[in-house]
Amino acid sequence: MKIDVTFDLAVFSLDAVKTACYKFLDRFTSDIELCDGRIICHLTFDDKSSEVQISANVDNLKKEALDQDLRLKLKTETEPIRNLILAHAFSKTGLIADE
Amino acid sequence: MSDFQRIEFYKPSSHKYQLLPFRFTELNHQSYVVTNLAGEFVILPKELIPKLINHDLSDDNSFYVELRARHFLVDQSTAIAPDLLAIKLRSRYDRLADFTSLHMIVVTLRCEHSCHYCQVSRKSNNRLQFDMSIADADAALDLVLRSPSPAIKIEFQGGEPLLNFGLIQHIVREAKRRSASKRLAFVIATNLALVDQEMLAFCYEHNINISTSLDGPRDLHNANRPRPGNDSYEKAIAGIRLVREVLGKDKVSALMTTTEASLGRIKDIVDEYLSQDFAGIFLRPLSPHGFAIKTKAYMRYNTDRWLDFYRQGLEYIIALNKQGIALTEFYASTILAKMFTSRDPGFVDLMSPSGIGIAAVIYNYDGYVYASDESRMMAETGDKHFQLGHVRHSSYADIFLSPKLLEPLQDSFAYSNPMCHDCAFEPYCGADPVFHWALYKDHVGRKPESEFCRRNMAIFRHLITLMEDDPFVKRLFLKWANRC
Amino acid sequence: MLKLSGRIDPIDQRAYTQSALLTITTDPFLPLPIRDRFALLTDRPVDVTGYGSQLISNGSERSESSLSDAVIYRLPTHFNYLKSGDIVYIDGPRQFLNTLFRKDSHHNSILLTEQCNNYCLMCSQPPKEIDDSYLLRRAFELVRLIPKDAQRLGFTGGEPTLYGDSLIELIKQTKLQLPSTSIDILSNGRRFKDREFARRFAGIKHPECTIAIPVYSDDPVRHDYVVQALGAFDETIQGILNLKRFGQRVEIRIVLHKQTIDRLVQTCEFICRNLLFVDHVALMGLEITGFTRTNLDLLWIDPYNYKDTLSEAVHTLRSYGMSASVYNHQLCVVNNDIEGSYRKSISDWKNEYLESCVSCARKCECGGFFSSSKMYKHSEYIKPFA
Repeated sequence: MKIDVTFDLAVFSLDAVKTACYKFLDRFTSDIELCDGRIICHLTFDDKSSEVQISANVDNLKKEALDQDLRLKLKTETEPIRNLILAHAFSKTGLIADE
Repeated sequence: MSDFQRIEFYKPSSHKYQLLPFRFTELNHQSYVVTNLAGEFVILPKELIPKLINHDLSDDNSFYVELRARHFLVDQSTAIAPDLLAIKLRSRYDRLADFTSLHMIVVTLRCEHSCHYCQVSRKSNNRLQFDMSIADADAALDLVLRSPSPAIKIEFQGGEPLLNFGLIQHIVREAKRRSASKRLAFVIATNLALVDQEMLAFCYEHNINISTSLDGPRDLHNANRPRPGNDSYEKAIAGIRLVREVLGKDKVSALMTTTEASLGRIKDIVDEYLSQDFAGIFLRPLSPHGFAIKTKAYMRYNTDRWLDFYRQGLEYIIALNKQGIALTEFYASTILAKMFTSRDPGFVDLMSPSGIGIAAVIYNYDGYVYASDESRMMAETGDKHFQLGHVRHSSYADIFLSPKLLEPLQDSFAYSNPMCHDCAFEPYCGADPVFHWALYKDHVGRKPESEFCRRNMAIFRHLITLMEDDPFVKRLFLKWANRC
Repeated sequence: MLKLSGRIDPIDQRAYTQSALLTITTDPFLPLPIRDRFALLTDRPVDVTGYGSQLISNGSERSESSLSDAVIYRLPTHFNYLKSGDIVYIDGPRQFLNTLFRKDSHHNSILLTEQCNNYCLMCSQPPKEIDDSYLLRRAFELVRLIPKDAQRLGFTGGEPTLYGDSLIELIKQTKLQLPSTSIDILSNGRRFKDREFARRFAGIKHPECTIAIPVYSDDPVRHDYVVQALGAFDETIQGILNLKRFGQRVEIRIVLHKQTIDRLVQTCEFICRNLLFVDHVALMGLEITGFTRTNLDLLWIDPYNYKDTLSEAVHTLRSYGMSASVYNHQLCVVNNDIEGSYRKSISDWKNEYLESCVSCARKCECGGFFSSSKMYKHSEYIKPFA
């Protein structure tokens, strides 16, 4: 059973979509291509999958893509403060080289 | 004598104000909870938020004065807010640099109980296979004392640690002998069924505290915690009595574990803690790890039902306090400490960055080191995701710089996660990568689907609402906040 | 109430030109070399020479003295409290006596200046813009005369820090002269916003010095209004932060009146969230003197009507483990839940009781009233305990 899911490249980063598809490796195969500013995921489910399962997995993929996209953005944006706090945590262990 | 000026003279001449960093999350239909950088909160009517953000809030508005005094905005009348916020923020993160202060040592996996929710124990007499060796204990102690924390707490775990009391004695003596500069505290987490005068004499001599299990009244406790003779409760009560006689009343504390059977019995459970004369009770959720999942105990149990259980328990405890009975609920007091003070109560499950490894670490009976108690339990069911190394084969750097520790620490950093990043409750909450891994095979999970998130947000809202509705509760909670 | 200063009459209407700081004694036979440091308290002139002054206590009788070189004054009866060990300043040209130190008092205060850079609505020592640095010079002398076993000594004003480094020098001298006397300095704290000044002050390393600093609200506008100085709040808080950075003992004081009571609880919360490292918080009742009388309609609120707010404030402070005291209130106008923090506090030269207090069962535990309160304005709910 094949089904296409499309993501707008203006909204989603390619990395986020790939990471999301990767998470569902065990449930479907993804063929990802770019076309006209869109990311198209051609999903292949095995014959045993029911309509309900496929629908649930597609929904899940979309949620996952959104989640991963936000994670990536935030991870980059908050990297300085995160590193600062973790460095502070390790500051007295002797495990971090002084800068 | 000059004239006195009216108060208008001291108000800023310009109506402009600058916003300081804050986040807001819905409390209920009418209001938002708004938190500043230091985790201080204000409840605002919803319609004020757009006004505030659009710089349209008048300084005549009573909330304006509150927001300025509590460091949500600044205007011409004052410039000291950034200094004070910086001090408060530093205080919140102070303890972090002390690094690992809680070291759990599993001296044996053997146990004579077979508690339904237990994730680890073995009924076995095979000391060789299931007791920690002296060599491993000594190596663990090396790692313990390597921590920069000025205060170290060593907690003996199991199985049932009293079954290997000799090793406890060895570790206590060795730890004291080898550390002059550290403040050492010792706790034994035991079911007390096997405690005797000789053990207590040792505890007395070395100032060791006891932490035991009390799930509720006899029927509930014994149903949860079978042992030969079906007398776990009787043994626990007798044990508590004995410990208090020999060591003192406040040297023994009790923890309860919530099961399917507990729900619906909250009043009985609290009454049991009252009749055993405890100063407080910790209403814990069931952790979703190990055997519990296999036995379907977890399946039958879910967040909403636990929240009902918790709310009823809290309601009852507050009513007791109104009667003059000073019983504290410790999960609430931990959260309230984060709401009302800049002190970190050091509760591993509610810390960001997560407390795994960097606040607490566990050395298993077989010498393997894990990032948390739950994660060593996960290992018993085959998932060694958080296994950091081995006491004799890994160095301090191997263990604490292990990617198996650093990745979950970084991934689960709450401020870096969607939804947590914007959540007003983030200063009160925590990252729990172990919980999320157990349930979702991901250090972070998706917060809208996370039971951890759902549970905690419900509790934050509930505690705040209780305080808003009842000044007695506000007073009571302020006392609780400063307990730990 | 004791009068600490007043006119004194030179005997036989002579004009004495000298002024001096003298310790009172009743011993007419002190060794000659030290007599000039003392004022002999006596009921009639004594035929001895060398004393800095003689003070005749039964001043109504006309006395005569054959000693042409002795400095002799008659004391009005309100000075009858003077006793051996007290220290007075006799102003010859103005024929005035100031009692500066009383041996029996638990807490003596030295006035350093009447100048101030705040102008509080309720100031009990209204600022004067005159050069009164003679008070500082006198203080240097005074600390040399005060007995070494004096337990506590206060420095007040006006604003003592206006003297800058001279104040630091005075405190250093006090430490050297009176090493076992604990001292407190009343200050608005604003000068300490200068970090280096705070550092130099800390350099005194006084073993027991507390700086008592008023913070009247968590709202900067309200605080500035009460002290009538723009920007005072920020400077005061900065001063407190600097003093604590350098390890100094700081007490925060809040005077309770209509302008501070509305946000009293929030102010205490502010202190506990932002300044938890201060050593003590003192909540003080209003003294009806100085500017308070001018601004009475702005300030007066019957303490009985704020007793619940006071209880809430004390509860907040105590919950955070902050040491707290309530001063200058009567027991019958506060709730008994604050009694752990209640201090019987009005200085012994200022306190009095009402007629209705005579039958009160708890009178000895109660601080009573400021004389000014008794005279002008006090709670309408004063009631003796059965």
